[in-house]
Amino acid sequence: MNQTRPGPVQYALLVVLAAAFLYPIWWAVSSSLKPAAEIITDPLSVGSLTLDNYRAMFADVPIGTGFANTALVLAVKGAMTMFFCPLAGYAFAKYAFPGKNVLFGVVLLTLMLPTLVLIIPLLLEMSTLGWVNTYQALILPGSVDAFSIFWMRQTIAAIPDELIDAGRVDGASEFGVFARVVLPVIRPGLAALAVLTTMNIYNDFVWPVVAVNDTAHQTLQVVLSTLAQNVTGNRIGADFATVWGELLAAGSIAMLPLLVIFVLLQRHFINGILAGSVKG
Amino acid sequence: MPALTTMARPGRATAARPGQRRRIRLSPYLFIAPFFLVFAAFGIYPLVFALQLSFTRWHGAGAATWVGLGNYAYLLTSQEFWASLGNSAVMWLLIVPVQIVAGLAGAVLLANARLRLRGLFRVAFLAPFVTPLVAMAQVWIVVFDQDYGLVNHLLNLVGLPDVGWLTSTAWSKPTLALLFLWKTTGFAIIILLAGLQAVPASVYEAAAIDGASRRRQFWSLTVPLVRRSMAFLVVVQTLAVFQMFAEPFVVTEGGPYGSTTTAGLYLYDHIAASDLGTGAANSFLLVLLVFGLSLGAVRLLRPKDEVS
Repeated sequence: MNQTRPGPVQYALLVVLAAAFLYPIWWAVSSSLKPAAEIITDPLSVGSLTLDNYRAMFADVPIGTGFANTALVLAVKGAMTMFFCPLAGYAFAKYAFPGKNVLFGVVLLTLMLPTLVLIIPLLLEMSTLGWVNTYQALILPGSVDAFSIFWMRQTIAAIPDELIDAGRVDGASEFGVFARVVLPVIRPGLAALAVLTTMNIYNDFVWPVVAVNDTAHQTLQVVLSTLAQNVTGNRIGADFATVWGELLAAGSIAMLPLLVIFVLLQRHFINGILAGSVKG
Repeated sequence: MPALTTMARPGRATAARPGQRRRIRLSPYLFIAPFFLVFAAFGIYPLVFALQLSFTRWHGAGAATWVGLGNYAYLLTSQEFWASLGNSAVMWLLIVPVQIVAGLAGAVLLANARLRLRGLFRVAFLAPFVTPLVAMAQVWIVVFDQDYGLVNHLLNLVGLPDVGWLTSTAWSKPTLALLFLWKTTGFAIIILLAGLQAVPASVYEAAAIDGASRRRQFWSLTVPLVRRSMAFLVVVQTLAVFQMFAEPFVVTEGGPYGSTTTAGLYLYDHIAASDLGTGAANSFLLVLLVFGLSLGAVRLLRPKDEVS
């Protein structure tokens, strides 16, 4: 863009914008670390540090179960995405086979299908299968998603055909070529896919809140959404301050893993976001 | 040795050919099979089922009654249905234009090649996008509480009265829109920044030599060139706003007086009420609307030279 050195006004604007984005996160985390009553009486203070809100929250809320369930769903569903989507992307990028264009068209068409239209019939399907309140209900729908296939197809299409042919001449099986030639070459793309997939699964809420209504299978986000009821259920007559203290403690803990991943792997993360805009 | 390998190669290739051809023919289908299995089981089957369901009255148990287009007719003449679309339309107006302007401003600020600390600003802008929506929705409840919230505390400090951010019909939509904007404007900035950076600096240099003012450069170079990124953003955010669910579900439960019952939340209300036939019909109406809106947005924002 314009190459003049940015002046103090531009820096000031950027700082204000950055502060607006960061302040709610900072406020939530710092407030979770002070005595609950002070969140209400003095919301601006950053004073005496305490873990009381966290202790109370761990006692009242099954957040450990939430983390464990999210970790399980993330591991299985994430692994399925990371394995099957590049594999399908490879087939669409590097093979010629009858019906390919029609089948790829179907993949693209499902990209435009809003999640909401499927919620009701999917829920009914789960109850027909007896899968309400099960891990498979949380894991299987959406486990091989169209967007990731599309993205991986674009990434793999950029690999020179000679490289793949060379792998074949060396006697590798078709799958061997994928595993030993294609995957190592697209490692940066895979890293971006992993980061974005992690974020999507970790933050997913609409389907988990519909598919699961027992405590044993609730993911972290569902646990968070029912936290206020849990606290008031456990502490009859709990005041605002108590509920809010626990709310902010749980929210802060829930934010932490993704914020850490994001700061450490921001290049992959930004690549992942930009991959999405290519389809526009 | 070299002679041996050259001798061996053709022989091996001929021997492998029939088998290999069969493998090549089969393997791409095997590779794409998982997607189609999952899609058939959890995409096509429920879709077909939903379409059928939308023509019946059914409450989740017992026999379904065929009502033809009854559910569609009911919704299209129902005040609540139109109110939910109206709420979403207002949300759209509060969100999308603001985000495009703020996103473009942020992107232009970040695009300057001589900017220091760009990486740091980028992290700050994108941090909200990474936070779980449910967690931040609850922070919104606390921050915008009428009696004890941070925002009214600040207003009181400068002598202003309390505002019912989440309890008055006038403010409930802007307060939720602010949550959406806070969470996703960093995403918009990054998308538009990529669009801006795709414009070679030489284009601007040429324009400057031709005597185009900074303002002129912005309107006649920058804006047309990021049109594609803007179109992408408008489509994605239109889809997101009309499907908005978690924000009102967690923060306001659709209130006060239904003022934040968005199209997405109204759809969920059918599930909650076990009115599944109407809910299915509602989903299809919503999908048609969202498709129409995205197509319209793409048409409007398509760069002029691509209009066929």
